[in-house]
Amino acid sequence: MKNNSVGKYVALAAFGFILFVAGLALAISLPDAQGIMRTLPYICVGIGSGIFGGNVGTAIKNRHLKKDPNAAKQLEIDTNDERNVAINNKAKAKAFDLMLIVYGALMLAFALMRVDMYVVLAFVAAYLFVVFSMVYYINKYHKEM
Amino acid sequence: MKNRLEKLRKLKGIRQEELATVLEVSRQTIGSLENGRYNPSIILAFKIARFFEMSIEEIFIYEEEQIDEK
Repeated sequence: MKNNSVGKYVALAAFGFILFVAGLALAISLPDAQGIMRTLPYICVGIGSGIFGGNVGTAIKNRHLKKDPNAAKQLEIDTNDERNVAINNKAKAKAFDLMLIVYGALMLAFALMRVDMYVVLAFVAAYLFVVFSMVYYINKYHKEM
Repeated sequence: MKNRLEKLRKLKGIRQEELATVLEVSRQTIGSLENGRYNPSIILAFKIARFFEMSIEEIFIYEEEQIDEK
């Protein structure tokens, strides 16, 4: 069974909240900051709220599941259900195919718009990374299966 | 792939939910299996066969068919 602890997620949520508040405080107290200090508060706010939201949600869910073992068992069954897993994998594969098309079109559009070369090159690098990851996993699974 | 799952389940007098709980799958999976929309993994097929105390071939009917990959 999955680890349904609550304390760990509450602690992480508290850390996220502190990061969020620290980011807000920095943004208010240093309005004329330069360099990294100009963006750091907003990064803290973004990451902090993300960590807070995600972990509060998980903590609430786990608390609920601790009170209701039947719901926990059903959730475990639904998560491991082979048809659900197959559906998720199929949906992800379709979305990946779509992502390659969208990525390609976006790269082409950026190149045609004459966006800075480093932006286009970053896109190309990300695209190639994703494609080569796929080749790597195909090889890996060929050996394993 | 055709199967006799629905007939066998009804003969046993159990609901889809009960069979799903025993096999540790979702009720929707049982529904899809009964309709022939989903083919089970070999492990699930064995679990089903053991539950009904039959062989896999007695439950699932394999015919030389064209597999329609959607």
